[in-house]
Amino acid sequence: MYFNKHLLWVKVLSWRCALGCCCMHTNMAEPMELLCWGGDWDLPSVHSDSLIVLAYAKFSGAKLAVKSIDWTWRTITASVPQLHYEGSTVTEPAQILNFLRKQRFNADYELTAKQGADTMAYIALLEEKLRPALLHTFWVDAENYVNLTRPWFTSHSPFPLNFFVPGRQASLALSRILLTKAESPLLNITEVEGKIYSEAKECLNLLSHRLGNFHFFFGDTPTSLDAFVFGHIAPLIKAPLPSGQLQKHLNQLDNLCQFCNTILKNYFTDASAEKRMDCSLMATHDPVDANLQKLTQLVNKESNLIEKVLARFADSHLNLMSLEIAVTWLNVCGHCFFTMY
Amino acid sequence: MSVVHVMSLSTAAAEPWPEKATLYQPLKEDQILLSDSASSLAVQTFLRMCGLPVQVSCCANAEYMSPSGKVPFIHVGNQVVSELGPIVQFIKAKGHSLSDGLDDVQRAEMKAYMELVNNMLLTAELYIQWCDDYTATEISRPRYSSPYSWPLNHILAYQKQWEVQRKMNAIGWSGKSLEQVYEDVSQCCQALSQRLGTQPYFFNKQPTELDALVFGHLFTILTTQLTNDELAEKVKSYTNLLSFCHRIEHTYFKEHDRESQSGSPQSIVDIP
Repeated sequence: MYFNKHLLWVKVLSWRCALGCCCMHTNMAEPMELLCWGGDWDLPSVHSDSLIVLAYAKFSGAKLAVKSIDWTWRTITASVPQLHYEGSTVTEPAQILNFLRKQRFNADYELTAKQGADTMAYIALLEEKLRPALLHTFWVDAENYVNLTRPWFTSHSPFPLNFFVPGRQASLALSRILLTKAESPLLNITEVEGKIYSEAKECLNLLSHRLGNFHFFFGDTPTSLDAFVFGHIAPLIKAPLPSGQLQKHLNQLDNLCQFCNTILKNYFTDASAEKRMDCSLMATHDPVDANLQKLTQLVNKESNLIEKVLARFADSHLNLMSLEIAVTWLNVCGHCFFTMY
Repeated sequence: MSVVHVMSLSTAAAEPWPEKATLYQPLKEDQILLSDSASSLAVQTFLRMCGLPVQVSCCANAEYMSPSGKVPFIHVGNQVVSELGPIVQFIKAKGHSLSDGLDDVQRAEMKAYMELVNNMLLTAELYIQWCDDYTATEISRPRYSSPYSWPLNHILAYQKQWEVQRKMNAIGWSGKSLEQVYEDVSQCCQALSQRLGTQPYFFNKQPTELDALVFGHLFTILTTQLTNDELAEKVKSYTNLLSFCHRIEHTYFKEHDRESQSGSPQSIVDIP
């Protein structure tokens, strides 16, 4: 009797767990939608603020349905990045990160109070010292703007917005730099340039000192500060800038470049690309990773082999694509034949 | 700073600190506003921490005399330097520095926290003064334009307000409500409080320019009468910041004021 009761409780509990899982599944099934600029230059997005949100989502495990605004009217109407969830809209990276934290996607869970305060301080440093120089490098510097930024944004905006979008962004960038950095007798941009670039280089040096030899700014797991730093420096490292004094300076800071590449490799490349890169580096970690790596190599070899066999078959006998088309056509004809007769 | 400016500062480094160094700020009783008063107090505190005597001179047109358009500025020998950042570098060139004992990581932290104060506290002060209609109408515009006669007072006050509103727009603060700004101030104070902890100064035993900057802003917020007390209440809720302000005021202002005749800031004790 007791055994039956116990069995009954177990059944009830398991039924309730299953129901709970179903409920969670239906709650989690609604993905959060993120609007951002598209990707290029090995980056998931070319826009700093969008990169910050994308990186934080990867770090905290949030599943986002990423929607690029390229070639849509949103290039001029939307303020990007923008998060949509259950009818509410959140803009600005800091607010989006707060929102994600409230939804229990918190990458800063293990930080101490002092580390949280340091995060705020370093983010302020980035905004004040590095952002004006980044805006200048991409949007105000004539060579970069004409040869890289404007063509990219023009080619990623629909007609007729491609005439307006880059110009509007450039004028916003210029006005932001002048209003925040230009002292009143020096309203000319050229006099401000020297100041903002020297401040940006100092900021990069400070970040490099703070990072030291660690993988991330606070230990071994990435946090929101890592997302902010990544979002700011990744476009600077990866973009093919014609004239980039700041880029040259950044390339000399090896630990920041390594930091950026580590994040790209571990969080943004797909599985097949990951296998081919830096296998020797992975081998120094614990044996589980080494086993996994060996298994994936094996699978990779097998898939390569299959591809070779199929290619040989396709070359020597029939084109694989035409074979598929032929089979599909036959299916369709067969269905028509049976429905008609 | 431009290259020429830096070179001129370094050539002035050889000269010792003169007796008649002067700090200029707007009129204390009638004209100066919260943000300018905070910056001025930060510079005065820094100079007292370095042990460099300076006379405070209040002029109605201090803002226009300043090379960068911002107050305060100091007149040392034949050099005129404005704003805390360049003043710290100028004084370092003269051989006085408060942050020499810090290593690279600590210096990075110090600069980051100084930017936090500038980014959050100073911007919040500017927002409350000029973008909040009630405060702007009751306090900021009348005070800012008090030395001037009609119609110049209206023109200058509205011009300044428009300039600050444009800046708020550019950095994305124009969409914020007053409650959000107070919340930002509270978060900034929380970060400072957590960083300070139970230490006497931010970098343990010795004060640095960060201490001067934080003191300047917090003390001014606590002692300035605005339309409501909400800003001061936000700061008062952090007891270690209050005791920090008391400590610096007692160490650097009470003792010196017994000897000198320069204007002393109002004591925290007198505030209701």
